[in-house]
Amino acid sequence: MRKTLLIIAIVLTIVSIIFSVLPLDTLALAPIGLALLFIFLAFKKSDVTQRKLTKILFIVTYICALVVLGKTFLIKDKVAVDTKFEQQKVESKKEDIKDLEGLE
Amino acid sequence: MKKAVFTLALILILCSFKTETNTGIPSGEKLIFVGSYNMSGLMTQLAQVTLSTEMVNTSKNSYLHLNCELATYAKWDKFFKIRDSYESYVDPTTLKPSLYKRSIDEGGWTKKEKYTFKGNSVTSTSKRKNSPETTKTFSVGGSTQDVVSLMYKLRTMAIDKMKTGQSQSFVAVFDEKQIPVTVKLLGTEMVTAGNLGSKNCYKLSIGAKTDVLKGKDKNLIYLTADEKKVPVLMKFSIPVGTGQLALTSASGI
Repeated sequence: MRKTLLIIAIVLTIVSIIFSVLPLDTLALAPIGLALLFIFLAFKKSDVTQRKLTKILFIVTYICALVVLGKTFLIKDKVAVDTKFEQQKVESKKEDIKDLEGLE
Repeated sequence: MKKAVFTLALILILCSFKTETNTGIPSGEKLIFVGSYNMSGLMTQLAQVTLSTEMVNTSKNSYLHLNCELATYAKWDKFFKIRDSYESYVDPTTLKPSLYKRSIDEGGWTKKEKYTFKGNSVTSTSKRKNSPETTKTFSVGGSTQDVVSLMYKLRTMAIDKMKTGQSQSFVAVFDEKQIPVTVKLLGTEMVTAGNLGSKNCYKLSIGAKTDVLKGKDKNLIYLTADEKKVPVLMKFSIPVGTGQLALTSASGI
């Protein structure tokens, strides 16, 4: 039982790290929440001498949660300046005026 | 300090250019929304949607250019970059469209559409990536709108005279055909509206006979319950999920 809980906790911690690195916003909190739950269960099922790994997993997942929350609240979402798109808009507008004059 | 003076000057210049059209839709209006998509039960912010208006003059006429742009945030661009634009050139008084354009670039997949309205006839040209251009001409009714001008047309409705549950019908062209659109008033609700603060809004349900929209009363648009009728929140349900557009900034209204 302890082993199963530990394996699930490790897998969820790895998923949490991946989700935290990717730009998935608060979606990363889903595996983090689950990881914390399974780490807690594994911790409870472990003897006092076997708790080192669960403690490490907890610290890693806790850092992931901090990273996700930090990115959510401290980093403002921005749209990159797309010069190609802006250029297309300018050219498109000129073409539109020609089209409109063609309709008149 | 310099920045503050520059910003103030810029705002004053922009305000001086602002012209109110007879429809109440001002030229120079800019509404910025944050587009979120429901991923596994959590709303994830994906893109910025900008609705803007400006007057455009040709040698004979003036048109109100309605522009709707969607761009994914920089952090998503590496995974799935979207740059969509929907544009409509309309009569500033009646909001009757003359030209409607749709340009889609979603993760490298592109599609361009152009609809020209002349009398009761619409000529559409469509070009998809790696496909030849197709042209189609079809007849439309006198009050047919394109999807962009329809969104602005909603703002000219006398919603204050409508009763809860009452509907109004429109016809829009989309994907080279006409589709009936029904707008139903569901009531009023307080909604957070970006820099406008908390606003009492009309809650409208959009129904259309198309596969693009799913569910009954799941596609909603909230317009401020005042004379400006600014869209502050749009909730949508499409075949691949649900999402929303929430107003973050409104200027030139």
